[in-house]
Amino acid sequence: MGSLVLEALAKRYGTSVAVERVDLEVRQGEMVALLGPSGCGKTTTLRMVAGFVAPSAGRVLIGGADVTQMPPHARDTGMVFQSYALFPHMTVAANVAFGLEMRRVGRAERDTRVREALRLVRLDGLEDRLPRQLSGGQQQRVALARALVVNPAVFLLDEPLSNLDAKLRGEVRMEIRALQQRLGLTTLIVTHDQEEALTMADRLVVMERGRVRQVGTAEELYESPADPFVAGFVGQCNLVEGALEGTGVFRAASGALLACAATPPPPGRHVLALRPERIEVTPAADGPARLRAVTYLGPLTEYHLDLDGTPLLAIRPTPTAGEPSRLMSAGDAVTLSWDASAARLLSAAQPGQT
Amino acid sequence: MAALVLPAGLLVALLLVAPMLLLFRISLNEYSPTEMMREATTAANYLRAVGDPYYRSVLLTTLTVALGSTLLTLGLGFPTAYWLARMESRWKSFATIVVMFPLLVGNVVRAAGWLALLGNGGAINASLLGLGLISAPLPLIYNTGAVVVGIVAVVLPYMVLTLSAVIESIPRNVEEAASNLGAPSWTVFRRVVLPLALPGVAAGSVLVFVLCMNTYASAVLLGGPRFKMMAPAVYDQFVRGNNWPFGAALAFILLTITLVLTVLGSAALGRRYRRPKEELS
Repeated sequence: MGSLVLEALAKRYGTSVAVERVDLEVRQGEMVALLGPSGCGKTTTLRMVAGFVAPSAGRVLIGGADVTQMPPHARDTGMVFQSYALFPHMTVAANVAFGLEMRRVGRAERDTRVREALRLVRLDGLEDRLPRQLSGGQQQRVALARALVVNPAVFLLDEPLSNLDAKLRGEVRMEIRALQQRLGLTTLIVTHDQEEALTMADRLVVMERGRVRQVGTAEELYESPADPFVAGFVGQCNLVEGALEGTGVFRAASGALLACAATPPPPGRHVLALRPERIEVTPAADGPARLRAVTYLGPLTEYHLDLDGTPLLAIRPTPTAGEPSRLMSAGDAVTLSWDASAARLLSAAQPGQT
Repeated sequence: MAALVLPAGLLVALLLVAPMLLLFRISLNEYSPTEMMREATTAANYLRAVGDPYYRSVLLTTLTVALGSTLLTLGLGFPTAYWLARMESRWKSFATIVVMFPLLVGNVVRAAGWLALLGNGGAINASLLGLGLISAPLPLIYNTGAVVVGIVAVVLPYMVLTLSAVIESIPRNVEEAASNLGAPSWTVFRRVVLPLALPGVAAGSVLVFVLCMNTYASAVLLGGPRFKMMAPAVYDQFVRGNNWPFGAALAFILLTITLVLTVLGSAALGRRYRRPKEELS
């Protein structure tokens, strides 16, 4: 067990930059998610921690010791691969025992620990099966047991749920999180699925094009995103380009006027970020906005709106049968309202922004 | 379905099975210096081949050279195949062509090349003599070593291509998983890559062993007049000795031994592959 520290970690392939710079500390027992679109450098970062990719610059410290120059087998990490990477020619028990064998754990203790690990992931009784005789979910749990049984200082998960179907994914997510907390594992997980990151991790690192955009808890990222990329990537968000017209008034590029937070704005050009669930939609014959489409999602309803040429998305709890807003349909004029503090001003146009 | 494979089946029967049956029939005939061959049903040719110490030594040489060449080819071919299979750059197709290149040169031409390199008046000896490093040509040719070198150069591409196809099918992250769990590279090879590549090792070795057993050109041109393997011996009986029945018997002995050894060998490897519990050791 130990903490994981990444110091100015970078990876370049010739002239192309996979990871520009990552600084991060994962505390003992903490679970941190690297979140970002494909190609953002999150997987390369994880592979540098495991030792499969040699960094171009920077250091990796596990439990305070510099392991940057160490080969993968000398680093005390336990990794779960996206495709599980089970040894196809070994039984479940042999797969799980492999890491213990490498650590020269005696046969009796090995057997006990393999049994415990398999019980932990609820696979007892399948010891003698081969990986190909197991379902995807079972293979995934073997991969977990194999990585956990050696008590690694750092637990690494590379998109561990992406090969599971949606229903199983939710279950396994909870299981992994419960195991991680029960065993107090220092964990780094890579995912492109924000829901996965939000529900599992203590803190999230949002990456884009090899850079860290923001580090924080799910709530911090969602409620106070540092820039438009984070706002748009973590949850849904209306991002309106335009300029600050006066305190609390934002003029969109289309000309529409929007109320915004009166807090001192960051320097430079601005983007208004407004979460769709913060917009209230009321039917009004003389309302300034127009309803373009209504999408019924069961508990929630999506309203695609147009405010003087600025498209906006609102998500509200589906109104009950008696409410007047229940009858709204495409083409209706509506009034929009939101708490001005919910409309945050973010600084626009950072280099490399999408 | 049966009707669909019938034409191909007939072709195989005509081109492969019929000549074999004919050859087998001939091997049971009697040799006659005047009529060449007399109709008979006798095992005398087989008994002579097995009983004669000369042919026993020819068979032993053939087996030793074939087995040695196969092992050497495997040893040289595995690293090459691994390197080729794990290559990711745009040079991969170029490297594959380079590996296959020797196949484009015929056996005789290649053996002639080895002669020019290793012969008494060949490039190596001429250079060393010219430099005054040696006073007499080194015996680089007309020995078992030269034959093995010649054979390995012929069969190596078959081994490399067979192995690399199998190694390519082993996911790289399985190797990464092993090293992540604490296995140094040699252990990763021994415990993960090699067991998973065993079907390729079996297929490549069988292919190469069969080719080695039937070596002709390399044995004749690089082994010299006193070096004998089975294929040249068969040729001698048919063409020089005009003793078709005995030549046919030698050919059948060669065929049977090759067949039995390849079946046994691949069965042994196959069993190992299918028994995963051994990996617990």
